[in-house]
Amino acid sequence: MYYGIIRNDILKSKAITLTTMIFVAAAAMLVSLAAILVVNLTGSIDTLMTQAKTPHFMQMHSGEIDTVRLTAFAEQNGNVDEFQVLEFLNVDGAQIVFDGRSLADNVQDNGFSIQSKKFDYLLDLDGNVINVTDGELYVPICYMKDNTARVGDKAVISGKEFTVAGFLRDSQMNSTLSSSKRFLVSENDYAEIKDLGSTEYLIEFRLRDLSALSAFETAYTSAGLEANGPTITYALFKTLNAISDGLMIAVILLVSALVVSIAFMCIRFTLLAKIEDDYREIGVMKAIGLRVSDIKKVYLAKYAAIAAAGCILGFALSLVFRGALLENIRLYMGESESSSFAAALGIIGVLLVFLAIIAYVSVVLKRFRKISAAEAIRFGTSQEKHIGAKRFCLSRNRLLDTNIFLGVKDVRARKGLYATMLAVLVLSAFIIIVPQNLYNTISSKSFISYMGIGSCDMRIDIQQTDNISEKAAEIAKAMKVDSVISKYAVLTTKVFKTKTEGGSEESIKIELGDHSIFPVAYSQGRAPAAEDEVALSAINANELGKKVGDVMTLVMEGKEKNLMVCGIYSDITNGGKTAKAVFTDNSADIMRCVISAAFSDKALTDGKVLEYGNRFTFAKVTGVDEFVLQTFGPTISAIKKASYAGVAVALIITGLVTLLFMKMLVAKDRYSIAVMKAFGFTNSDIRLQYVTRSVFVLIMGIVLGTLLANTLGQVLAGAVISSFGASSFEFVINPLTAYLLCPMMMISAVLAATMIGTSGTGQIKISENIKE
Amino acid sequence: MNKIIIGENIVKSFGEGDEKRHVLDGVSVEINEGEFVAVMGPSGSGKSTLMFALSGMDDVDGGKVVFDGRDLSAVAENELSDIRRTKMGFVFQQPTMLKNLNIHDNIILPSMRGNRKNAVKISEKAAVLMKRAGIAELEKRDITQVSGGQLQRAGICRALMNSPKIVFGDEPTGALNSKSAQEIMDLFSEINGDGTAVMLVTHDAKIAARTERILFMRDGKIESEMRLPKFDGTDIDSRVKEVTVKMREIGI
Repeated sequence: MYYGIIRNDILKSKAITLTTMIFVAAAAMLVSLAAILVVNLTGSIDTLMTQAKTPHFMQMHSGEIDTVRLTAFAEQNGNVDEFQVLEFLNVDGAQIVFDGRSLADNVQDNGFSIQSKKFDYLLDLDGNVINVTDGELYVPICYMKDNTARVGDKAVISGKEFTVAGFLRDSQMNSTLSSSKRFLVSENDYAEIKDLGSTEYLIEFRLRDLSALSAFETAYTSAGLEANGPTITYALFKTLNAISDGLMIAVILLVSALVVSIAFMCIRFTLLAKIEDDYREIGVMKAIGLRVSDIKKVYLAKYAAIAAAGCILGFALSLVFRGALLENIRLYMGESESSSFAAALGIIGVLLVFLAIIAYVSVVLKRFRKISAAEAIRFGTSQEKHIGAKRFCLSRNRLLDTNIFLGVKDVRARKGLYATMLAVLVLSAFIIIVPQNLYNTISSKSFISYMGIGSCDMRIDIQQTDNISEKAAEIAKAMKVDSVISKYAVLTTKVFKTKTEGGSEESIKIELGDHSIFPVAYSQGRAPAAEDEVALSAINANELGKKVGDVMTLVMEGKEKNLMVCGIYSDITNGGKTAKAVFTDNSADIMRCVISAAFSDKALTDGKVLEYGNRFTFAKVTGVDEFVLQTFGPTISAIKKASYAGVAVALIITGLVTLLFMKMLVAKDRYSIAVMKAFGFTNSDIRLQYVTRSVFVLIMGIVLGTLLANTLGQVLAGAVISSFGASSFEFVINPLTAYLLCPMMMISAVLAATMIGTSGTGQIKISENIKE
Repeated sequence: MNKIIIGENIVKSFGEGDEKRHVLDGVSVEINEGEFVAVMGPSGSGKSTLMFALSGMDDVDGGKVVFDGRDLSAVAENELSDIRRTKMGFVFQQPTMLKNLNIHDNIILPSMRGNRKNAVKISEKAAVLMKRAGIAELEKRDITQVSGGQLQRAGICRALMNSPKIVFGDEPTGALNSKSAQEIMDLFSEINGDGTAVMLVTHDAKIAARTERILFMRDGKIESEMRLPKFDGTDIDSRVKEVTVKMREIGI
C-alpha cells in the first residue's frame, strides 16, 4: 500500500521531491566526504610519520655546538631511545637556481641536508627512504606543487650543478606553514657546498615513552643545552601536517551542517504544506479510528524513500569526488593504510544523515496529535488565528500598492511558513558573507598585525651571521638618509633566561626595540612602553602561565630583573614563542635582527626591496606583500576559492529554495488566486504579490544574515584563524561587496526564481478552482 | 432595451477522445440591461459552465460572447480582468473570501487594486453597502468569526463595490438555511430594483420564482424558457407553483 501512495505522491510533486532529494544528496555527500577525508588524513599522517620516523623532540640551533655534552645528556636520560644531530645548510634563495629561475623571492629558509642514518628520514613519493647519489638533488614536494622544479631539471646551487632526481616528503617541514625546507644531496656533494651557507643544527630525539615528552622538554631546558632556535615537538609536527587539509575538512563539515539544516527546512516546509492540504483526509483517518502512528507511517514512508535515495546518491557522489580532494593529502603525505575503513566511516556518516532526517520528519509529524478530527472535517483547514496581523488593514493602507500590501500582509499572517524560507535565506546570506569577509580580512595588509608582524612595507631579516648589530646599524644608517622611507624600526632578538613558577629556568626570546612604530594587534593589554614592561605572545603567555599585570622574572648576568606583563599578542613567527620589550641590554648575544620599513610611496616597494637586497647581501630582504603571499598564499587562495564557492552554493540554494517555495505556495494558494482573478486581478497583479512576499522575506533575510555574519560569523572565522595563531581579530569588511554586490546578487536570484516559480499562476483556471 | 450580454452558439467541452463531453452544446442566450434572470437545470446540465463562459472566466471552444458591446474572445487577458473588476460582480455558493483579510478588507479588495488613493471613498461606500446588507457591525471580524449567511451578504457587498452592470450568482443561497436564503434574495431583488442586471444559477424553484425570466437547461442546451412579471413582493406561492409546474412539464 505504501508503495502506491509514495509513487503517486512523488509523481504529483516531481519538482519538490527532486529538490528535497538534491539537498539530502548534497548533505550526505559532504558528510561522507568529510568522514573519508578525516580518516585518510589522519591515516596518511600516521603512515608518513611512522615511515619517516619523525623525531619526538627537536631543537634547532645555530652557533657553536657541543656534541659530546649532548651525547652525554642523551645517554643519561632514561627516556631517550635514539638521538642524533643533523646539519641543515642554510643557503640564500638567490643561490638556488632551477633552469635559470632562482628562489630569490622565496620566503622559505631553504637549506640542504644529507639523508639521516637513524630516523627523521626524507622519503620519496612512494614512501621509501631516498638513497641519493652524487650529482642528484631531491627537492621538497611543495616546489613540485607550485611548478618551481621538475624532475630532470638542471639545478645550480652556488655554482655547483645538480640534476633534480625527484621530490621528497619531509615529515617535519612539508607544510608551507613551517618556514624551513630541506633539499637532499649526497654526502660528498654536501661536503663540497658546506662552506657556501651557514650551518644550523637539528638536535633530534626519539623517546621510549612519548607521553613523558613534557618531562623530557623540561629536562632538556634545565640542562642548559644548545637552544638557539625554535623547539618543536611531535604533536606540533602532526598539527603542521594536518592544518591545511584539516581546514578544508572543517569547512566541508561546516557547509554540510548548513546543507543538512537546509534539507531539514525544505522537508519542514513541504511537510507542513502537505499536512495543510491533507487536513481533511487526516481528520477523516483519525475519525474512523486510525492511530496517529498509522497515519504518520504513510508520510514517514515517503520521506524515508526520498532520504534513502538521496543518501545513496550522495554516498556514490562522495566516492566520485574523493579522488580530487584526496589528491593533496596523497601528494604531501602519501597513501593512507585505512581507506576501506574510510569508506565504512563514510557510510556511517550517511546513515546518520538518514536517521537525522527520519527523526526530524517524525518530530514535525507530531502536530498530527493536535489536529481535531471534528474541526478538520467541518472546515477542512486548521482554524488557527492569525495573530498580530489585525492592525495591518487594507482600509488603513495609504502607503503601499494594494498588491504589495497583500504580499506583505500574507507574510505577516503566515509567519510560520515564511520563517522556514527566511531561515534558508539567512543561512545563504551567511554563507556568502562570512567567507568573503574572511578572505578580505586575511588578504588585507593589516591582517599580519594579528600574526605578530607589524604592518610595514619591507622587512629585512639578519640572522645566522656574525656582527649582527653592526650590520643592522649599517642598514639603519642607510634608511635614515633614504627619503622614500617614511619610518623604520630595528628590532633585535636576544635570548634570556626566565624563572618559571616551579623555580626552574627557561630560555625566552625577547625582541627589543621600539614596538610603537609598527604595532602588532594585542589581544589583551598594549605594547610595552616602559623599561620594566614586557609583552608576551599568546603561546608563551599560556606556557608560562602569565596574564596581563603579572610579573615575570628575567635572570640577566646572575641578577634578577622583574618585568610586568603589559600585553599579550598572537604570533605565528618563530614557532609562536616570542616576547617584546623596550629595555636596553648589552649582555646577551644577538640572535637575529628584523628591520621593518614603510615607504612614503608604496609603488616603490619592489624597487626598494631589490635595491636593499643587492646592497646588503647578508640580509634577507622581503616585501611584506610578497611575505604575506608566500606564507599565507595557499591559505588565502583556498579561502578565496571557498568564498567564490560559497557565493555559488548560496545563490543556487537561494534560487532553488525560492523556486521550491514559490511553486508550493502557488499550489497551496490556488483557491485564493482563483478568487482574486475572478474579481479582476490580473496575472501580473498576482505575480507582484508573490514577488513582494519573497523580496520582503529576502530583505529580512539579508539584514539578519549580515548581522549574524558580523557577529557569529566573526566568532566562527576567528576559530578558523586562531587555528593558525591569531587569537582575536575583527573582520575587515569591503562594504561594496558585502552590503551592495552580495544583496544585489541574492535579490536577482530570488527575483528570477520567483518569476519562474509563479509562472504557474497564469495557468490557474478560475472555473476549476471555484466551481462548486 | 440594450443587451448587456449576447452569447451566440457557445460550445464548451471537457475531456479528450471517447471521454469528451459537450457541457455546452451550442447555447445562445441574451441578457438585457437591468434584467433579473435565473438559470435552472439538473446537476451536470451546464448551468455553472454557462455562467463562467458568459463572464469570461472560462474561454469557450466555439461560438462567441459579446459583453457590453465587446467580443470577449478578442479581449486581452488583462483587459478581461479589468472588465470583470469594473463591470461584473460575482457571488458564489461558498463564500470565496481570503483568509488573511477581515470582512471589511475582503469587501473592498477588488476596488482597492491600483486605487488606494481613493481608500476613504471606497471605505465609505463599503460602509453604506454593509449597512444595507445588515452586517455593518461585522467589519472588523475575521471571516471565521461570522455565520455563512453573513459571509454571503459580505460577498454580495463585495460584488457591488464597483457598481457593476451585472451580478452573477452561482447558487448563492445553496449553502444557507431557508430564512437566510430569503434574506439574500431580498437583497438581490433590491439590487435589481436599482437597475443592475442579475443572473442567478439555481436549482431551487423558490429562488427562481423571484426572477423575471428563467432559462431551463438540460444536456448542455437551453431546453425551454419562461417569463414572469417583475416580482413585487406579493403572491410568491403562486409564482413558485407556476415554476414547479413548468419544471414538471419539461421533466426537470
